[in-house]
Amino acid sequence: MDPSKDNSSITTHVLNTADGVPASRMALSLHRLNTHMMIWNLLTVGTTDEEGHCSELIGSEAFSLGMYKLRFETGQYWENLGQTCFFPYVELVFTITSLDQHIHLPLLLSRFSYSTYRGR
Amino acid sequence: MISQRLQHIKGHILAENKCVEMATPPPSPLSTHVLNTGQGVPGAGMALSLHRLDPRTETWNLLIAGTTNDDGRCPGLITREAFIPGTYKMRFETGQYWKGLGETCFYPYVEIVFTIMEPSQKCHVPLLLSRFSYSTYRGS
Repeated sequence: MDPSKDNSSITTHVLNTADGVPASRMALSLHRLNTHMMIWNLLTVGTTDEEGHCSELIGSEAFSLGMYKLRFETGQYWENLGQTCFFPYVELVFTITSLDQHIHLPLLLSRFSYSTYRGR
Repeated sequence: MISQRLQHIKGHILAENKCVEMATPPPSPLSTHVLNTGQGVPGAGMALSLHRLDPRTETWNLLIAGTTNDDGRCPGLITREAFIPGTYKMRFETGQYWKGLGETCFYPYVEIVFTIMEPSQKCHVPLLLSRFSYSTYRGS
């Protein structure tokens, strides 16, 4: 899917910085914290495409203020490439304080490092 | 009398060794270093905790809780004996840290989960953090 046509308020992009390629076929999931019960509600499960994108993570109706968690199955990803990974999974926990922003959360990943930032 | 005196002196010597031991404990095989990349300073005074996954119950056991020093480090995280192979989690109270500086942070906390297979090797897991980004890597 053309990323510019993805209407999700939260988008991601996973890059395999060790090999210099998009991280395709990585399983990921988006969760929102239920503050009444203090448990995580699973919102979406997906897999990155050939470009390392995963479209339609969240619809505008579901997008509300609160604490979210984006989890990437990094161990599984590297295992599929015949390698080990220092990080069995990566969970990015973040807060949404305004509904009129679009949040872009890339993950730049190698077997022994990762980085992320809040983009638009 | 002389043997008693010798015993007494021996006791002092052993005690002094103990003090030396306590003054310079063996370095932890696992270390961290928090850098505030937003301001270009060490991440001092950040609360953090180390946990190990119990594979039988799939629950996290808290091993130690601490705070980074002025250099952004937290010495003495774990002993050699306790550093067994397994899955560990280092949790950093990033939201609280930035709140202390009068700022908000996109990340209320950061948890880095990693696998240790060779505990005989030193492992360094730094956190480079700003209000809107962070990175980590396995060092030695």
